[in-house]
Amino acid sequence: MADHHHHEEEFRLNNPDFERLNQRLDRRDFLTKTSMGIGALALGSLFGNKLMGNAPRPAISNATGDMEQEILKALPHFAPKAKRVVYLFMSGGPSQLETFDYKPALVNMMGQNLPESIRKGQRLTGMSANQSALPVVPSYYKFNQHGQNQTWISELLPHTAKVIDDLCIVKSMHSEAINHDPAITFFQTGNQLPGRPSIGSWLSYGLGSDNENLPTFIVLVSKNGQKDQPLYARLWGNGFLPSKHQGVQFGSGKDPVLFLNNPEGYDGADRKEMLDYLSKLNQIQNSTYGDPEVDARIAQYEMAYRMQTSVPEVMSVADEPEEIFELYGPDSKDPGTYAANCLLARKLLEKDVKFVQLYHQGWDQHGSLPSGIAGQCKATDQGTAALITDLKRRGLLEDTLVIWGGEFGRTVYSQGKLTANDYGRDHHPRCFTMWMAGAGVKPGISFGETDDFSYNIVKDPVHVHDFQATLLHLMGIDHERLTYKFQGRRFRLTDVEGKIVKGILA
Amino acid sequence: MIIDIFTFSGRLHPLIVHLPIGFILLAALFDLLSYTKKYRYLKQSVPFILLIGFIAAVLACIFGYVLSLSGDYDTETLTHHKISGITLAAICGLLYISSTPLLKKTLGMADKLFSLLLLGLVVLMSYSGHQGASLTHGNDYLTFRALMQQERKKPATVEQAILFEDVIQPILQKKCVQCHRDGKQKGELSVESLIALKKGGKSGPAVVAGKPDASELFRRIILDEDHKDFMPADGKPPLTKNEVKLIAWWIKEGKAEAGKTIAGMKNTNALKPMVALFLGMGGSTDSEQNDGEPDQQINPDLPLTIDTSSLANLKNKGIRVRVMLNKPVMLDVTLPPKSGIKMADIKGHILKLAKNIVWLNFSDNQLTDQEISFLPELKNLEKLRLDKNPITDQVSNYLISLKHLEAINLNETNITDGAILTLKKNSGIKRLYSWKTKTTASINN
Repeated sequence: MADHHHHEEEFRLNNPDFERLNQRLDRRDFLTKTSMGIGALALGSLFGNKLMGNAPRPAISNATGDMEQEILKALPHFAPKAKRVVYLFMSGGPSQLETFDYKPALVNMMGQNLPESIRKGQRLTGMSANQSALPVVPSYYKFNQHGQNQTWISELLPHTAKVIDDLCIVKSMHSEAINHDPAITFFQTGNQLPGRPSIGSWLSYGLGSDNENLPTFIVLVSKNGQKDQPLYARLWGNGFLPSKHQGVQFGSGKDPVLFLNNPEGYDGADRKEMLDYLSKLNQIQNSTYGDPEVDARIAQYEMAYRMQTSVPEVMSVADEPEEIFELYGPDSKDPGTYAANCLLARKLLEKDVKFVQLYHQGWDQHGSLPSGIAGQCKATDQGTAALITDLKRRGLLEDTLVIWGGEFGRTVYSQGKLTANDYGRDHHPRCFTMWMAGAGVKPGISFGETDDFSYNIVKDPVHVHDFQATLLHLMGIDHERLTYKFQGRRFRLTDVEGKIVKGILA
Repeated sequence: MIIDIFTFSGRLHPLIVHLPIGFILLAALFDLLSYTKKYRYLKQSVPFILLIGFIAAVLACIFGYVLSLSGDYDTETLTHHKISGITLAAICGLLYISSTPLLKKTLGMADKLFSLLLLGLVVLMSYSGHQGASLTHGNDYLTFRALMQQERKKPATVEQAILFEDVIQPILQKKCVQCHRDGKQKGELSVESLIALKKGGKSGPAVVAGKPDASELFRRIILDEDHKDFMPADGKPPLTKNEVKLIAWWIKEGKAEAGKTIAGMKNTNALKPMVALFLGMGGSTDSEQNDGEPDQQINPDLPLTIDTSSLANLKNKGIRVRVMLNKPVMLDVTLPPKSGIKMADIKGHILKLAKNIVWLNFSDNQLTDQEISFLPELKNLEKLRLDKNPITDQVSNYLISLKHLEAINLNETNITDGAILTLKKNSGIKRLYSWKTKTTASINN
């Protein structure tokens, strides 16, 4: 590095192209040192801070004062039960009828038309609205009872069945959207239209980080899910929150985070120094243009630098014993699969990453549901159950909340032709099943009930906003108070709704 | 900007109003002094002082009028203040005119009469000023009653609390009295005494013993916030759910009476927790903010404060400290894995925060039994992680006395069944993790 960069007091760019920037600096310096210096002081005391906008408050000189401020500012509105969340998102809308919502009476009604008294004119998607008949179809797969409470669960989920005593199954979820993108956007951001911050971003914004060497919010998308419906990055986007709160997607290839390795022929010894200067340049830029994205950029460079060491360490499964791969199943040795991502999720949670979200696509079985859902369950069942088992024995289920679920459920009637061993199911937002496990929720219970057709909810409905409110509650946040003012309005994850589902709280 | 320039200039009234006060007092003082030989020459300055007093008084009237438009004031007092203020300015102006050389000759007013009028002006000014102060500070700001009144001491226990005096009246004082008080009775209601409450206002009695539904006050505080009858009106802070419950109990079970202690009442089981919450007993307080959330059991031994310098020191040493709650202060402390931090360096600080620490994570730090022998001091500990440390059965002895301890992680340590047998003596422990240890027993069998 050239020596002339080493004096600290003046950091200027001696390049004609930057002349204008330098001049601006001079003008600003002048104003700061003269009129603003004294003027602002006088005005400030006359008008008070509020009228002067967000004038920086005088720094509290001693560390104790800072701490007091920090404690007062600390967000938890009440003592949290969960410290981290892992959210296993089953994208596409898994059928509740073939997994958790056991409806034995349907067997006798196979092929009969769905009674209008049940449907009550509910809207259907364009895909089945024109069907001449809506023939009821029971689950192709058998259900068995498992666990202390003899909970019914599909034979498709043999591994999940083994951890059933740890699950808090909510059978009465309901949503407002009937199509994938609005429904999943609704689940992740609280609004069907794109543009709002996602759950993980809200948590990052509200609670900050517990491990500054890794992102607070990490997203893993399985490579082995059928890509029938797209997943847009806005599902883990920050919306109008500062950019540093967005979810960071780790890739499913060889390099989970691209360009993290030093380029060939560069040893990285002076990387820190380089970044420090880059940060100074960015700060000059920032103080001139006041663009919050510059702050995000500075934070991202610094995070990337720390991730150069932290990511290879956490992503490496070389030290995991064979027994672990047996637990998570054979897929877990193939990076990027759902099972491998489950294992990775455990490692990230061990490092106190606050919000890990897995996406597994391919649950959208409009046709050939029996074979389709069997494949989906096979790809996910063992990894999911292994994650629960692994977190539990490590004691991490104490303060980790595990969530499993999709964006909506599926219809009791068959979409398309119904045969003895083939049928499809259309989207159904009026009821579906999710489960949670771990910190703060009751283990081994089922909450809410649907009617005999799994079409309407008959007991304890849980709206998407209720789920979001409960999730925030478990993290210590009052969903009505975590707000962000944007374009003149205070926004929150649950908008103007959401009730905490007290019945599932431990 | 929060307020427009119009409203802002109105708020200058209390500032400007002191100018005419000063000038008129000065004029009167000079006028009186001029009767003495020594200060006779002051007489000639009196008209000028009155002139600037008059100008200042007119300005004060204008700003005062602007301020009165904000409508936050008791109309009766306001009218008195307005009329007396304008009269004051007018008289001041007239006195000035009468004292100018030209008119003084024509009118031929005697000096003594002038002085008398000037003193009258001072009296009028005192009256108007008092009205103004009442508007700003409330009618009882400068009364003898305020001098005689004694503040009730906060009761030491829930049992000793007098329901009306210690609980209900403070609620009304906090949420209602700004508009419903003696002298500023919106809707002709004052909540300042039980008699006034029972008398009620325009819409009938505010409280009816035993009948919350018939009590106008109760009806209005439980309405939907958007309802036009909802109280407190104008977006002023509503009563918390706990406060509403307390008032309901007082009217229904407490028969809307005064002077009864909780101990002296019947069926108070449901009442006591509400009172405790309101009086801030038992660790938590009935803040506006906690309102409406599921009730949370909070350990009453948790301190409301914290040794901030120890906290700062821990953070500076690289310990992760997460504030789980700020009132009382609950901490989640994590020693990063393989931190290399020496326990001796941080022990002192941890002990100073001992009662605040609720969750503690010492996982994977090569700790020995000896190094963590201070654990019994962490009396409020609920969750403890000691996994991946070369600790032995000895550690279980440190944990028997921790009555809030609920979960312990001893995975990958050197403990044996002996530790589990010891820990069974602490019946509070619900979950014990002993994966990858030599143990065979579990805490549950």
